[in-house]
Amino acid sequence: MKRRNLILSGLGITGALVVGWGVMPERSRLGKPGNMLLTEGDIALNGWIKITKDGGVVLAMHRSDMGQGIHNALSMLVAEELDVPLSQIRLEQAVHDSIYGNVAMFVGTLPFHPLQSEGGDKPFVVHSGEWIVGKVARELGVNATGGSSSVKDAWLHLRLAAATAKASLLLAAADQWKVPLQEIKVKEGLLSHAAGKSAHFGEFAKGAAAQTPKNVVPKDRKDWTLIGKPTARADLLPKINGSAVFGIDVRLPNMLFASVVQVPQMGGTLSSMDATEALAMPGVVKCVQLVSASGSAPGFAVVAKSTWHAKQAADKVKTKWLQRAEGAIETKRIEADLKEKLKTEKGFSFYEKGDAAKAEGSAVRIIEAQYTAPYLAHATMEPMNCTAQFKDGVLEIWAPTQVPGLARAAAAKIANLSDDKVKLNVTLLGGGFGRRLEADVVVQVTQIAMALDGAPVQLVWMREEDMTHDFYRPMQVAQLSAAINAKGEVESLRIKSAGDAVSPRWMSRVLPALSGPFDAPDKTTAEGLFDLPYGFANQHMAHVSTRMGVPVGFWRSVGHSHNAFFSECFIDELALESKQDPVAFRLTLLKNAPRYAAVLKLAADKAKWAAALPAGHAHGVALHKSFGSIVAQVAEVSIQDGKPRVHRVVCAIDCGTVVNPGTVAQQVESSVSFALTAALFGQIDIQDGVVQQTNFTNYPLVSMAQSPLVETWIVPSTQTPEGVGEPAVPPLAPAVANAMFKLTGKRLRSLPLAA
Amino acid sequence: MNLTVNGNNVTLDVDPQMPLLWVLRDSMNLTGTKFGCGVAACGACTVHKDGQPVRSCVTPVSSVAGAKIKTIESLGTPEKPHPLQLAWIAEQVPQCGYCQSGMLMAAAALLERKPKPTDADIDEVMTNLCRCGTYQRVRAAIHRAAGAQA
Repeated sequence: MKRRNLILSGLGITGALVVGWGVMPERSRLGKPGNMLLTEGDIALNGWIKITKDGGVVLAMHRSDMGQGIHNALSMLVAEELDVPLSQIRLEQAVHDSIYGNVAMFVGTLPFHPLQSEGGDKPFVVHSGEWIVGKVARELGVNATGGSSSVKDAWLHLRLAAATAKASLLLAAADQWKVPLQEIKVKEGLLSHAAGKSAHFGEFAKGAAAQTPKNVVPKDRKDWTLIGKPTARADLLPKINGSAVFGIDVRLPNMLFASVVQVPQMGGTLSSMDATEALAMPGVVKCVQLVSASGSAPGFAVVAKSTWHAKQAADKVKTKWLQRAEGAIETKRIEADLKEKLKTEKGFSFYEKGDAAKAEGSAVRIIEAQYTAPYLAHATMEPMNCTAQFKDGVLEIWAPTQVPGLARAAAAKIANLSDDKVKLNVTLLGGGFGRRLEADVVVQVTQIAMALDGAPVQLVWMREEDMTHDFYRPMQVAQLSAAINAKGEVESLRIKSAGDAVSPRWMSRVLPALSGPFDAPDKTTAEGLFDLPYGFANQHMAHVSTRMGVPVGFWRSVGHSHNAFFSECFIDELALESKQDPVAFRLTLLKNAPRYAAVLKLAADKAKWAAALPAGHAHGVALHKSFGSIVAQVAEVSIQDGKPRVHRVVCAIDCGTVVNPGTVAQQVESSVSFALTAALFGQIDIQDGVVQQTNFTNYPLVSMAQSPLVETWIVPSTQTPEGVGEPAVPPLAPAVANAMFKLTGKRLRSLPLAA
Repeated sequence: MNLTVNGNNVTLDVDPQMPLLWVLRDSMNLTGTKFGCGVAACGACTVHKDGQPVRSCVTPVSSVAGAKIKTIESLGTPEKPHPLQLAWIAEQVPQCGYCQSGMLMAAAALLERKPKPTDADIDEVMTNLCRCGTYQRVRAAIHRAAGAQA
């Protein structure tokens, strides 16, 4: 099936779903005052903004903060439009309503080539595809924090909600003061009039609620005082004095603690268990067998008076586990299978340009290379955990989750309760990276809470359970080939990759209503391969989608995380074959992609690409676009004791309009560190069905001493805001690998990198 | 068992083998000290025992009876924050924040011992793991606090 046919058939399916659903424009996402919680003395002006008696502002916070600073960024949008100090904004968890859904994240899953889908002049198929998926996503109202989409998604309607609230307050003040509207000024949360009148928002909230301002538009960017300025995060104080409440820090009266043991053999089952000895141990309350649901592994949990007591007792439970019927999973065999499939299967063609076969037929020579990337764990610093209490027919959950609505639905289903009998509180997340887009821990703690007599219980996974029961970044292999013509130029580029698709597996776990018997082609498998900016005349990019039985999930930057390694290392190989400098080679191929070229030049300039480095050091470069943002990185690397040491990473990013440059720098530093851990050490091996890596001792993270200095340079832009949390992950591994080639003359084509 | 935690004497009826981490978190509700790995590999659980940094996840509570335990909750006060806490804000260090209690306690112990640490000193002592890559800001904040203390 050709790509265009796929989209059109996709439209047909979605079209059927859309029948009878009203169009929901941005303005309808302002919501109604009734969307917000009723709180004494506060008055809601729409679904996002509430004004307190003393003039404070309460913002309905629909996104989860896992370190990326989204609570602060969204507060900045509101503070800007309302002209209040950032410190005056308080957050309240948004209720479950479709206005809080994430539309941008779903639109981002469409497999359009960036040079096609960028800017205002979009082809019909792109425009209609984005429109219809956006419409469906609005109706679905899936509240998810992922896909580096939160600012992009909220950009229009959140500023509009705040601007509308301000307009209402102004109208109310004009009525109360009986002065012309245009004579009232708003500054620092105070309304004032030249005649000496001045009052805070609280004085006009009631009047404002009765107003219906017309033709409200957000501020022009020239009037911004906050957006775009480096701004100190308002959420840091609790994180330096121990008072921040992550999921694992929830404490309730008479709370119990649970420790889980899950089937060690991936895909296996619990055949029998004997908890007699465990139940006799001090402090132990109960042992609960756990069934598999929403992707959770089967096993059991011991409930006790502390996590430690629960864990000690869990170790004493005697169990008999069974391998899955299809036989034990082995990563070695999976790798061989994937390589075989690359030879035998055609795969789904995500992108075709020109005639690659013809170019290959007339080529002087063909350059070929095979690349591989391993399974990876997320390893969030806060281990998986969740707290729940089932009392008086109501299940209350406290979860560090990226998907509150889906988690609530999963809990309701396993508890056999209606959604309205489940209350889910979102805590802070000690890292997410995609791991907390899952509901496995929520359904486990729900099963435990339902088995107790009203007591609250906190389930904490030991690190070993966390490492061995992840939803892993899938292993992928790719075959890349380029046809070189008589002039020594690259005439065509062909890429075929193979590996599991994440999206359909994730949907089957947490969005089963949208999961079908067949997998639709998944953009995440091919992103970063089919959407390259380079102007090769002939291109063909395909992916062979597999199902190897390992649970796979979204891992920070998803397909881009390995595909950028494949493509940007191969581009370096081609530069070498063409006897060109890697930066110059890329620039000649970016004549029709000026935004990419500008980012690459900025990184090269700031890193002093051409300048001499200390003996034994080398620069490597990579350029990659993901989640709407273009990132170039230059890594300075040396080899010490036979191992790569990354000294400095200069990063240039074009992420459109920037809300907080400080957060962009933080996220770039974070992405480089996350990606460096994967590039140097990351590998999950499965033998006889059992994950071999168990803790930071054998799945190490980069440390302070191994960390490079990271510099961030932002390309000034007035384009719409794009993603920031992930786009600096993909270029790191290829930049480091390309530098290592310069140092060693050895081309590394598999991750993790070893000199 | 008698313990001194953040200047308070407490009497607890706990298993002597129970790691200090879980006593703090589950028995005393002092949740600022974090669980990360359980094998002293990540440092998220770092507290001070008589001024020395220890990884509380592998420290049996019986081994700290009679010692002075200090956790993140008493590193500073709202009125008198620790210089590191001020530096942490100035450098905008935390992201998710989960490892930061341990980072701060390890850094505070370092400054007690070496008021002007070099980069090499920091590399040697600050072995706490962070998944958000706050390392370069942690380093800058330690230097900033060291300067402020002079």
